[in-house]
Amino acid sequence: MEDQEILAKFRDPAARNVAFNQLVRKYQSKVYWHVRKMVVDHDDADDLTQDVFIKVWNHLENFRQDASLFTWIYRIATNECLSFLGSKRRKFFLPLNDVGAELTAKIEADESLAGDEVELKLQKAILRLPDKQRLVFNLRYYDEMPYEQMAEVTGTSVGALKASYHHAAKKIEQYINDHAQND
Amino acid sequence: MNTPFRLDEHRRRPQPPLSLPPDRYFEQLPTRIMQRVPTAAPSPLAGGWLTALSAPLRTALASAAVLGGFAAAFLLSPGATVQPLATASLAQVPRAELVQYLLASEQRVTLADLAELPGAAQNAPTGTLQASPEELQELLDAQSAEEAYL
Repeated sequence: MEDQEILAKFRDPAARNVAFNQLVRKYQSKVYWHVRKMVVDHDDADDLTQDVFIKVWNHLENFRQDASLFTWIYRIATNECLSFLGSKRRKFFLPLNDVGAELTAKIEADESLAGDEVELKLQKAILRLPDKQRLVFNLRYYDEMPYEQMAEVTGTSVGALKASYHHAAKKIEQYINDHAQND
Repeated sequence: MNTPFRLDEHRRRPQPPLSLPPDRYFEQLPTRIMQRVPTAAPSPLAGGWLTALSAPLRTALASAAVLGGFAAAFLLSPGATVQPLATASLAQVPRAELVQYLLASEQRVTLADLAELPGAAQNAPTGTLQASPEELQELLDAQSAEEAYL
C-alpha cells in the first residue's frame, strides 16, 4: 500500500487503527534493523522499535509531508537510538570507548560471526566510532542510502556527511590494519 | 607481509552479521505495538480550534480568560457582602452600650469626642424656630452640661 493511501486512511478515525497496522507492517523490518545496527542487542532494539512506532502514532496527525514518510520515520528512529545511547552513557558515567566495548562484547558473543576474523575486526572497528559517525557509516555502507536522503534523516549537510563517512572509513581501515600487524 | 585492508575491496554484506530476531518476531510485533497505542483517538476539542489560532492570539485569549477569572472571583468573593452586614449589626447595638465600650477602652475617647451638636429636628414645625437669640440663650443656660452633650 502506498504511503499516501495509508495517511489518508489514518486521517479517518474509523480506519485509523487499520491504517497504522499497515504502516507498522510496511516499515517494521527496516526500523528494527536500523535500530539494531546501532544498539546491537535484540532486546534493546525491540524496545526502541516499539517506542519509535508509538511516537509515529502520536505525531503522524501533524506530519506535514515535507519529507517522505519513510525518511520521517527513519529520523524518529535515529533520534531514539542516539538518545538511548547517550542516556546509557550518562546513566553509567561511561566514556565513549566503554559503550563501544560493551557493544563489541555483544557482537563477539554472536555465533554468526564465528570463524570470520576479518568481519569480526570490521564490526569491532565500526563499534569504536562515535555514535553519530557510526550512524552515518551504517546508513551509507549497509543501507546504501543517498546522501541527500541521509541529510534529511540526520539534519546534516551533504558535505558534512561525505566528510564524516570518509573519516569513518579511514578510521576503520586504520584499526583493522593496526590490529592485523599485532596479530 | 599482509595486504593492507581497504574497505572498498572488502566484500560488503547487506547487513552486519548480527543474529536474527526470534522466530515470528515480525508477525507478532504489530500486535504488540497496537496494544501500546492509545485507544482513544485524539479529541478535536483538545486543541482543534485552538491550534488553528496564531500564537499571539492564543496568548491574548489565555490572558483574557485569566483576568476574567480574577474579576469574577473578586466580585463573587464573601468580602463584598461583609460590609453591609457589619454596618447593619452595629446599628442594632444600643447607644448606651457603645458609649460605655468606647469610654472603657484605652482609646482616649472623651465626652467631647462623643458630643452631638444639638440641632433642630428636621420635621419640627417652623413656628418653633421663631425664637430670639436671647430666648435661645436662656434655654441653653437652663440645661445641664450632661443633657447637652449626651
